[in-house]
Amino acid sequence: MKSRKALLFWCSLLGLIVFLTVFSNMLAPFSPNEMNMDDVYSAPSSDHWLGTDHLGRDVLSRLLEGGKVTLAVASGSVILSLIIGIVYGGISGYFGGLTDTVMMRLLEALITIPALIIILSFQAIIQGGMWGMTLLIGLTGWLVTARIVRSEFIRLKEEEFVKMANMFGTPVWKILWGHLLQNSIPAIFVVTLFNFAGAIFMEVSLSFLGIGIPPAIPSWGNMLYYAQNDILIGAWWIALFPGIMIFLTILSINFIGEAWKNPKRRRVND
Amino acid sequence: MISKWVGKRMVMGIVVLFIVSFLSFFIMQAAPGDPAAAFYGGNAQTLTAAEKERITRAYALDRPVAQQYIAWLGETVKGNLGTSSKEGRPVSEIIMERLPNTLLLFSVTMFFIIIGSIWLGTVAGMREGSIWDKGLSTFSIATSSIPAFWLGILFIYFFAVSLGILPSSGSGDVEGNGGVIDKISHLIMPASVLIVTHVGIYARFLQESIKIENSQYYVKVARANGVTESSIRKGVVRNASIPYLNYIAMTIPSFFGGSIIVESLFAWSGIGQLTVKAVTTKDFPLLMGSIMVTGILVVITLFIVDLIMYAMDPKMRKGGAR
Repeated sequence: MKSRKALLFWCSLLGLIVFLTVFSNMLAPFSPNEMNMDDVYSAPSSDHWLGTDHLGRDVLSRLLEGGKVTLAVASGSVILSLIIGIVYGGISGYFGGLTDTVMMRLLEALITIPALIIILSFQAIIQGGMWGMTLLIGLTGWLVTARIVRSEFIRLKEEEFVKMANMFGTPVWKILWGHLLQNSIPAIFVVTLFNFAGAIFMEVSLSFLGIGIPPAIPSWGNMLYYAQNDILIGAWWIALFPGIMIFLTILSINFIGEAWKNPKRRRVND
Repeated sequence: MISKWVGKRMVMGIVVLFIVSFLSFFIMQAAPGDPAAAFYGGNAQTLTAAEKERITRAYALDRPVAQQYIAWLGETVKGNLGTSSKEGRPVSEIIMERLPNTLLLFSVTMFFIIIGSIWLGTVAGMREGSIWDKGLSTFSIATSSIPAFWLGILFIYFFAVSLGILPSSGSGDVEGNGGVIDKISHLIMPASVLIVTHVGIYARFLQESIKIENSQYYVKVARANGVTESSIRKGVVRNASIPYLNYIAMTIPSFFGGSIIVESLFAWSGIGQLTVKAVTTKDFPLLMGSIMVTGILVVITLFIVDLIMYAMDPKMRKGGAR
């Protein structure tokens, strides 16, 4: 019962964050890019609840707008990696044999290369905008999903109802879709949640390094990029609030994921 | 038996390095300008015609891409990583200057993470249902949700700006004025940021596998036979540490990713900061070199973890599947 309540709490917290960022246009007290050179680095006050940054922009407004960008990039990339992961893992798991061995060896090799390195090197050449980033994070984030889908397919393939369906001559696509994929949904859901947290981390890290989202667009990572200089002159509010938002978002996702995890399926990473 | 196993691991490592080298080579191809210019960057204009000829021949630039790749790989294996287009020095020289710092940061953080997580994980795992047990689960989820670099910014604010007791950036110099103390004071913040954000999640993994091991039949029998608690713990921890090591191996790549960001934040002059610098200044030869070196570091680390696992797991020594 206690964990039920906790789950509800984390879901509503995440819902609140999503709500605040999606409706940032209406909720933000200022325009996120509105500059006011007379009012730079002002500490939180009744006028600017969370203070202003080095160009006199309202931190609260940028926080809400930036959240929209960060969450949009994360969602887009998660959907992309979900699709790739299901297709790759599905093929590997369903066909088995040599195909499976080769595909899994390749996956094992790819998983050893830090995703950040791959994204960094591509960013150096294409220097993409927001959607370029989404694409890159999505293209590097499907490996664990593929692994989970594969192991689910292998497990389900041996179940009696699938064998039965095969015997009755059910079309292959129906088995793949109706029997294998739909029964893997709980496992896929959990890994996708954790993937979402990972994608937020990735966007934030890259923008923080100054090679992610273009600086003109506010995002939580971009705000922290400027914050590392602002902190040296004591403007703590610019760094504190985006970080708290990232922390709360990832924290609620992690707790929701933990609660959803089947106790028997102890490790999602396997 | 061991030679066969080592061989298998080596092949895997070589495959990984091949993929990394494709990535590297792709960068050279995709970089603006012709590959010779990309390789020598800003110095390309100063090259004489004869030198250009020599580069073209050495890297087979007048032949198909596949042959170019082989030629480039040959040069790379020989240790010739090209010349930095911004600094005008050989890439391998720059990397060798940076490598000790990265290794220092990595080994110090990994040492404390492993010691800390084994201690926390054992205490929490052996007392199921206690405050330690529940507390660690929450602690690990909470700490792993903190972006390491954000924690770093807060640390800089508290320890460097407000209190002024630790330097906010740089990596210190043993031969400089401060000596070893200077190096350590520069190391404290980046290392502790990495330790705090990682120790919980590793401890939790060990805790869970200890709990599973603890409920096994053989442990129950040992308890019933009056085997002392300390030797039960020894056995349980030993057996639980194999999945734990496997988990470490699995997360090493993302750990390297995380340390890239922390290195940049604290201007710790290691490979990670070098990589980011190469990206922002579009220094492609340097970028290629640092990617290759990071790949090699990951492969070597994984190999060491695998060797430890092999030494600890009798099932693997007898040739069982992992």
